[in-house]
Amino acid sequence: MARMNPIGRNLLGWVSVVVFLAAWEILARSHVFTEFLLPSFSASFERLVEDTLSGELLRNLGLTLLRAFAGFAMGAVAGVVIGVCMARMPLVRWFFDPIVSIGLPMPKIAFIPVFILWFGVFDESKILMVAFNALFPVVVATMAGAEAVDRVMIWSARSLGASPRRLLFEIAIPAALPEIFTGLQIAMPIALIVAIVSEMAMGGEGLGGALMTQMRFADSRGVFSGILAIGIAGSLVVKAMELIRRRLLVWHQETQSG
Amino acid sequence: MGMGGSGIIFDEVCHTYRPRRGRPVLALDKISLDVRDREFLALLGPSGCGKSTLLYLLGGFMPIESGSITTHGKPVTGPGPDRGIVFQSFALFPWKTVRQNVLYGLEKQGMPRAEREQRTKELLELVHLSAFADSYPSQLSGGMKQRVAIARTLAVDPGILLMDEPFGALDAQTRALMHEELLAIMQRSPKTVVFVTHDVREAVYLADRVAVMSARPGRIKEIVSTEKPAGAGSEFLQTPEFAEKVEHLWGLVRDEAIRAQDAAH
Repeated sequence: MARMNPIGRNLLGWVSVVVFLAAWEILARSHVFTEFLLPSFSASFERLVEDTLSGELLRNLGLTLLRAFAGFAMGAVAGVVIGVCMARMPLVRWFFDPIVSIGLPMPKIAFIPVFILWFGVFDESKILMVAFNALFPVVVATMAGAEAVDRVMIWSARSLGASPRRLLFEIAIPAALPEIFTGLQIAMPIALIVAIVSEMAMGGEGLGGALMTQMRFADSRGVFSGILAIGIAGSLVVKAMELIRRRLLVWHQETQSG
Repeated sequence: MGMGGSGIIFDEVCHTYRPRRGRPVLALDKISLDVRDREFLALLGPSGCGKSTLLYLLGGFMPIESGSITTHGKPVTGPGPDRGIVFQSFALFPWKTVRQNVLYGLEKQGMPRAEREQRTKELLELVHLSAFADSYPSQLSGGMKQRVAIARTLAVDPGILLMDEPFGALDAQTRALMHEELLAIMQRSPKTVVFVTHDVREAVYLADRVAVMSARPGRIKEIVSTEKPAGAGSEFLQTPEFAEKVEHLWGLVRDEAIRAQDAAH
C-alpha cells in the first residue's frame, strides 16, 4: 500500500464508502425490508438526480447553505473578537470564562424552542441558532491561540517600533491564525448540522424542512435522496475548508511537510 | 547616537521573580555595570543566574523595580528601536516571508517604500539570504532563521544590539560560522553589543570584555578584558592567549555552575 502511486492510494481511501453503498444496494434489493423502510441506493440516487434537474434540490440546498454560512460568519466574527479579548484582557476573561466553559459542552440545540419563541420560525431565527452554536468552538480556539503567542515575538515587534495597540492586529491575531482556523473548521460542520436541525424543527423550505415534509408524505426515496445530498454537500464544504486552510496558512509548518 | 557618549549604565539594578505559587526569589542583586560605546560585552554565567533577565530589563520588556538603567544618559522606560534584540528562539514572524520580516521594522519607522525595499535588499545580501527573500521562516534552517532575525534587527539601525544566547539553538559548525559572520557584520557597522551566553569560548572569542555573573542571586563577580589584537580572525582561537583566557574564565564560571546545580537539587 505504501508503494502505490498517490492516485491509487486516494481511490483506495474510498473503498469503505463503495463497500457501504454496495451493501445498502444489496440489502435493499434482497427485499428483507420493504421499499418504504429502505429504498435502494440506486433508486435514491435516481431521485437525487431528478430533484437536481428539476431545480427543487438546488433551491433547498441553496437555502440551507445560505443559512449555515450566514450563521457561521456571524459566529466566527463574534467568536474571534470575544476569544482575542478574553486572551488579552483579564477582566473580559474573568467575566466570560464561566459562560464559555458551561456553554461549550452544552447541547445548545435545546434552545430551539426558545429561539422560536423569541425570533419566530423564519430565516433570522434559524441563522441566529446557527451563529449561537458556531460561536463557542471559535471562542475557545481563538483564546487558546492568542494566549499561546510567544512573548519574545511580542517583544521583537515592540523593539522594532510597534505600538502596543497595533500588536493585536499585527502580531497576536496572525500568530494565532492556525488555531483560529482550527476553530472555524470545527464550527463549520456544526453550522451545517444546526441549520438542518433548525429547519426540521421550524419547517419551511431548505433541506431539513424538505426532509420532514417528505417523511410526512411517506416519501422514503425523497428522504434518503435528501440524506445523500446532505452528505455530499457536507463533505464538499469540509473539503473546501481544508483547501482554504492550505492556501491561507502556506507559511505554517504543517503545510510544509504535508 | 553617541550624544552622551557614555554607553549603557546599570546602577544597582535589582529584580525579584514572583512566581504565582511559592515565595518571591531575588534574581538580580544590585547589578552595577558600565558598557562603553561600541563595546562588545558578554554576560557570562550559569543558567538561572538572571543574565537574560538583565538583558530584558535593558530591552525595556520588564519594569525595572529598583535601581536604574540609562542608555546615552536616557533612562530605560520601555522597548524602543534604539535597542534591537535577537533571541535564541529567533522570534521571527512565521506568517511573513524573510523579506517581510526584515521590512516590518522599517515600516514601523515610517521609511518611504522605495528606500525600505532597497535597505531590505542590502541587509539580505549582508546575511547572504537574497535567494531566500520570498521563503517563509518554516522553510529555513536554524542558522538561516537566526540570520533573518539579525537582519531584521539591524534593519532599523539600533545603536545597541542585545543578543540573548543567539546561537544556543544551533549546531556547533553553524555556530562557528555565525560567530565569524557576526564579527564581520560588526566590523562593517560597529554597535554596542550586550551578548548573553553560558559558553565560555564564545564569550572570549566574540567579546571585548566579559562580565561573569554569580549563581542566583545574580551579581557581577568579575569583569575580564578579552580584547583581541586588531583584525584577529578565527586563527585567534588557536593561540595560547585564547586558551589562557578561556581557562581563567572557566575557573570563575565553574564554581558558579556548581553552586547553581546544587541549588537546583
